[in-house]
Amino acid sequence: MANKKILIIEDDSDLRLGYHIRLKANNYDTFFAADALASMTEARKHEPDLIILDLGLPAGDGFIVMERLKLNVHLAAIPIIVVSARDQRENKDLALKAGARAYLQKPVKDDELLAVIRQLLGESVPTKDEALYDLGPI
Amino acid sequence: MNEKALQILLVEDNAGDARLLREMFSTEKPGSFELTHFMRMREAMIHLAKGGVDIVLLDLGLPDAHGLDTVRRAHEVSPGVPLIVLTGLDDETLAGEAMQEGAQDYLIKGQIENRALPRALRYAIERHRMQTEADQIKKMQLQLKDDFLSHVSHELRSPLTAIYQFGTILADGLAGETKPEQQEYLQIILRNVRQLQSMIDDLLEATRAQTGKFVIETQCVSVSDAIIDAANTLQGAASAKEITISFDLSAPVPSAFADPTRLRQILLILLDNAIKFTPRGGAVKVQAQMYGKDPTRLLLEVSDSGCGIRPDMTERIFDRLYQVTNPALAGRKGLGLGLYICKELITLQGGEIWARGTEKEGSVFSLTLPVFSLDTLLGPLLRNRGWPAPWVGLLSVGIGSQDGWLSKEKRQEWSRAGRTLIQSCLLPNLDLLLPKLDSAGGEEVFFVVVFADDQGAAVIAARIREEFGQLGTFTQAGLTLSLSYKFLGPTAIDPAASFGDTVGKMAARLVAQLKSETHTRSIHGE
Repeated sequence: MANKKILIIEDDSDLRLGYHIRLKANNYDTFFAADALASMTEARKHEPDLIILDLGLPAGDGFIVMERLKLNVHLAAIPIIVVSARDQRENKDLALKAGARAYLQKPVKDDELLAVIRQLLGESVPTKDEALYDLGPI
Repeated sequence: MNEKALQILLVEDNAGDARLLREMFSTEKPGSFELTHFMRMREAMIHLAKGGVDIVLLDLGLPDAHGLDTVRRAHEVSPGVPLIVLTGLDDETLAGEAMQEGAQDYLIKGQIENRALPRALRYAIERHRMQTEADQIKKMQLQLKDDFLSHVSHELRSPLTAIYQFGTILADGLAGETKPEQQEYLQIILRNVRQLQSMIDDLLEATRAQTGKFVIETQCVSVSDAIIDAANTLQGAASAKEITISFDLSAPVPSAFADPTRLRQILLILLDNAIKFTPRGGAVKVQAQMYGKDPTRLLLEVSDSGCGIRPDMTERIFDRLYQVTNPALAGRKGLGLGLYICKELITLQGGEIWARGTEKEGSVFSLTLPVFSLDTLLGPLLRNRGWPAPWVGLLSVGIGSQDGWLSKEKRQEWSRAGRTLIQSCLLPNLDLLLPKLDSAGGEEVFFVVVFADDQGAAVIAARIREEFGQLGTFTQAGLTLSLSYKFLGPTAIDPAASFGDTVGKMAARLVAQLKSETHTRSIHGE
């Protein structure tokens, strides 16, 4: 079976490399975008299975990216995980309303991130711990 | 240079005193002062409200206002206008209190020298101006500091994320195998990253507390669950120091009306501190009980056998950035924000916190929280809509398992999912899904206060049954749904009774019903 594709939208190059190593080790193919403009180009090009999205980005923030993704019929259904340094108390609800399926606070724990990815890709049956992650209305 | 005349408002009911005061300005340059005189507070307030007054000369014994009340009322109408009080010879204490209320100065009648009055007025105005300016600067500085702190914390998180990411990449062997010694050092790095992370979180929380941005969502919370949860979370840290955490939950404790996440946060801070300041092999204890004879409050206590607190420090430890200096506990302890955050959170939930301790025999942190009561929940609902209907009843929805016993895991999972689903079947502001109540037994039970008769309730029940039925995961998991409705009959509304009494009466009926339901259920489950 072909590897699932994950698009990483993150302006910090160190973090992009970090995601790449971690996700590759877990058999995911990774693609990258470092700003809001490139996000759309890359998303259209690769039509990924999942998107990891930072909120603070050059050329428009993560909310703008979500808005544009949701307007594109081919991309609207791709699950988005927001991983941000912005405080979750102020941004989580906004992000979920904007269409994100999960909000994780930086620094995010690897097992937490992987668990959410698997759950959103339908690769694992949710266990009790994963119910902790808010995946929107059931 | 022609200066604008200073507008003085004199409020004095004694015509003789007023004339004397007026005369004191006669020697001043014409046009430098303009005096308006009123005998009563009411007229003076109207004049004040119009604006344009530079300073108020206020007698504290007026026909329609007396003492400090006079000062307060004047301040209410025009908080930005300086005020001098006029008092009699034997009223200096009162004058002092008036200054505390915000008066700039006081003058004793009969002792005012001729040239002194205009000068006193000018001083008072100048002093007031400087004070206002200082207040504004302070406010601006605080805002700047908050913006700065929240910006800094955010910026600190990004590099920290990279350190953590690559630390774990190395530790997990994704970049080649590591030797045991290298592994040990990597774990030290990661441990310190976590410490730094919690400091950043504290910094943000403290900033929020200062700017009043804490969000508190109160509901019915089981205090014992919160204690068990917090104790479990810190079990590892305690075991590492061979410290035992014990809790006594033998006496029944009513639920608190609090924010569960915040309560957990508070308990974690207190327990974490207790473990931190207790030497190896010590003991930490958590207790919950009613607060004396007060039926509306709960008391929670976290005590330890640690280094204790100097009695004169029991209040200061709740200050922002305050840290205990104890050479025996050298090493990093955090930012000194934990207790400050704790206190702010508890105050916002309507509780109090205090500490007591001796210098050597450990310390006790006590906090109070309001007890959960149905009145508080029903109040706003009924107030918003008036009385929805004369009928009221209680619908209970139970999620159980075909095996007869719902596992803890399943229960947790469905507690949340079930709540969302039931809520979606109700009309907002029409029926009330009660917060999670403590219910022992083999079912997860939800209670809905329904303002409808049997027929109305049946419609809601059918809707809930249908929604659950359509949920594949529900039936596949071998779960069962039970619904029951208890009609409490029409509520007689006494037009003479106060709103609070009426709500109280309805709440009492519901509570009685709830008690019997939870009781039967727990017996059934045993």
